[in-house]
Amino acid sequence: MSKSTDQEPTLQAPAGKDSTSITRRSVLAGAAAATAAATIGTDVPALAQAADPPTDLEVFVTLSSALTGIAGNKLKPFADSLDLSKDYLTWVTDWAAKKPSTAFTTLLQITRSTSLPVFKDDGIIKQPDVDRLVKAIEGKGDEPKYLARSIVLMWYLGSWYEPDDLKNLPLTAPSFIKHTVISPKAYTQGWVWRVAQAQPMGYSDLQFGYWTREPPPLSDFIANHETRKRS
Amino acid sequence: MADEDIDVVIVGSGFAGSLIANELAKLGKKIVILEAGDGVPSNINGYMERFYKAEDKVPESPYPPSMSDKDGHFKTLDPKDVRAGRPTVRTLTPTAWNDPRQSYLDQSKAKLPFASTYNRVAGGTSHWLGTCLRFVPSDFRMKTLYGKTVPEFVDWPIGYDDLVEWYGKAEAEIGVSADVADQRYLNIYFPPDYNYPMPPIPQSPTDRAIGDALATLKPDQTAFLGMTPSPTSIRVRPVPAARNSQPYRNRRACAGNTNCIPICPIQAKYDPTVSLNEALNHRNVRLMRHTVAREIILDAELRNVSEIKYTRYSTTSNETLTDTIRAKVFVIAANAIETPRLLLMSTNDGRTPDGVANFTGKVGRYLMDHPYYVAWGQLPLDGKQVWPYRGPLITSGIGDLCDGPFRSQRGAFRVDIGNEGWNFVAAGIVGSDPHATTIDFVNGVNRSLPKQPSRNRGGLFGPALTKALNDNITRQFRIGFLVEQTPDADNRVTLSDHVDGLGLRRPKIAYDLSPYTRRGIAAAYKMKNLIFQKMNATDYTDHAVLPGDPTRFDQDIDGKTITLNYGGAGHIMGTCRMGFDQNDSVVDSFQRSHDHDNLYLVGSSTFPTGATANPTLTIAALALRTADRIAQRV
Repeated sequence: MSKSTDQEPTLQAPAGKDSTSITRRSVLAGAAAATAAATIGTDVPALAQAADPPTDLEVFVTLSSALTGIAGNKLKPFADSLDLSKDYLTWVTDWAAKKPSTAFTTLLQITRSTSLPVFKDDGIIKQPDVDRLVKAIEGKGDEPKYLARSIVLMWYLGSWYEPDDLKNLPLTAPSFIKHTVISPKAYTQGWVWRVAQAQPMGYSDLQFGYWTREPPPLSDFIANHETRKRS
Repeated sequence: MADEDIDVVIVGSGFAGSLIANELAKLGKKIVILEAGDGVPSNINGYMERFYKAEDKVPESPYPPSMSDKDGHFKTLDPKDVRAGRPTVRTLTPTAWNDPRQSYLDQSKAKLPFASTYNRVAGGTSHWLGTCLRFVPSDFRMKTLYGKTVPEFVDWPIGYDDLVEWYGKAEAEIGVSADVADQRYLNIYFPPDYNYPMPPIPQSPTDRAIGDALATLKPDQTAFLGMTPSPTSIRVRPVPAARNSQPYRNRRACAGNTNCIPICPIQAKYDPTVSLNEALNHRNVRLMRHTVAREIILDAELRNVSEIKYTRYSTTSNETLTDTIRAKVFVIAANAIETPRLLLMSTNDGRTPDGVANFTGKVGRYLMDHPYYVAWGQLPLDGKQVWPYRGPLITSGIGDLCDGPFRSQRGAFRVDIGNEGWNFVAAGIVGSDPHATTIDFVNGVNRSLPKQPSRNRGGLFGPALTKALNDNITRQFRIGFLVEQTPDADNRVTLSDHVDGLGLRRPKIAYDLSPYTRRGIAAAYKMKNLIFQKMNATDYTDHAVLPGDPTRFDQDIDGKTITLNYGGAGHIMGTCRMGFDQNDSVVDSFQRSHDHDNLYLVGSSTFPTGATANPTLTIAALALRTADRIAQRV
């Protein structure tokens, strides 16, 4: 990827930004931050692009992006007809209310207070920053630790695995764990298929014979498309 | 239409029943089809929704009656409450398979599990893979060729020469994609100028990786196969498939959904509802759904079937209606378990105490499957990738090892190459991959197959997670071996004392694997070792043989005791065998009962031997041949 092409300011929505709530000010602020970052050669903290305090959805998407290793703009595209990030936020919020549990509030608080720069070339948060986030989460005990894992599995598999079940899973013995497919949409948008450079079983939008050729590179599936296509 | 006008009553609307109905419908015959389960839905959206939501995407998951609650969780149904019950993958677990309170099939006395399942719904085996192999000519002459050392084997009363024309017709009806040049092996031949209806399905990277690995072999590496001479190269061939490689009869080309089993979302794969719907477009054809045939009633001389007694049930209440239906000809097209069950239930008030078509006691015997030995491998992490979860479930296989002198000593096998990574029930975990591998990495455990040093619950996150998943999953592959099983008289379907939701006695199964069949699985084990060794792949198969797995058995292989296991192929065969006369069989080569002139038993229940090919194309060829015969008499 050419560095020189990255000098163009980007007008894409910040990671996790709810498209319906984007104001001109936040777009410009995001653009200005990106320009500044490009000029001085540093990366942009995911939550620093917006002038307004980040919403829970933005924080949730940043948390999810860090833990899954997938660009925030992939988890929540600018024009998001599926709105899966909202579905998932609602699911976890409802889960926390029903349990009841403060673990999700803890996860959001930790994410808000952790600097998570976005690797500008691909929109992916770097490993050392992810590791700092995970360390902070796991320092708060098993509840946030295993809830974080449930959230990752939700993005990857479209299914909800109870944090307690993950905690109690035998280390090696094969066993079935109950899970709930959140929705048909969630199953078909699971990220594990894309991380495997494949498509969900039973939901192909590709054409006859594609399987005989090599798939596109992994970055095509999980990295920030808006940035990548300018290279 | 009034009863007396009906030409043919067909019980069951799966492959054989739908094909026969459609052929006779075109000729204007008046036909009624009795279907125990639901009818054909107006579209498959409901099936897809149920599949997507299912916690376990097992073969039965899309099809009614639903095995899931509203959240997609598996629910236990006591088979005594189900009006048209069925065996399911979820009831083959170590604790359920032989418990008639959980399992529809009564296997409480079986030595080993009969591990195949079926659906009862219009269209029958719509969850099939789509493989359309022809039998090789030797498959029809097993007694002649190998009967000296394997007395269980019998010859078919017909041979490849008799079926070659019907295979072609079946391939046209179903819509098969293949190339004759690829399919000429072990004496399979085609009429001059014959072409399959569509070009072949392209091969996957996994197919090519295995083909490359087996391109050059030393004779001592393949001596264990018992072929003459020992092969120095084994070819991976595209599998003929009922899967469109181009638009065919108003159905789309395959889009590689990797979901042939349980359901193709775009019906690029043929299923029997295609022919069934065509049949039902004729005004002379009627389908009665939720209608369970319960007795075949004979005339006073016991020579002909006069009527069939059935019960219709409501799906919204406990209401039922029992009545009879008359016709000139009766076709039983259930499957190799439900067909003998119906025959055995038909005691005619004591006039046929052993059931219908059973004067010589052969009904229900010689139950066969293709015991399926499955192996999981992974290529080196620093080596090439094969990218599973792309394309049809299976695009290629190895057919050249299906026949040879070894067949006088051990069961033959055919190799399937999977394009679905470790999705196929990895390590006994229902739901399997990619779920199991993802959970392992995210949760820092090794609960499926050991892929990593134990991280003691230290999960991977961020770029480390995407890299680990991509590195591993893109190098996973699976192969399976369909092993020929001897027709053993004691492997049989009888009637259980346990009943279903209509009070009808459920099928009781006795099943075991003969030493010959076990030696076939042992040879498959050795072939697996050869393939993995040539690919430099890590073998995870042993880990999949779990303690408590009821299909486990110990086998002596070159002086060592190796624990093997098997799955069901869904290929239920042999319980109403075809033969030369009443003394050796239940039906003749036209699948007509030796005992009753107007009764036909169709489908793989009539196979005298099971070979190694998936049975569907042969079921279809026989069904078209039978339809032609019936058309001449009504």
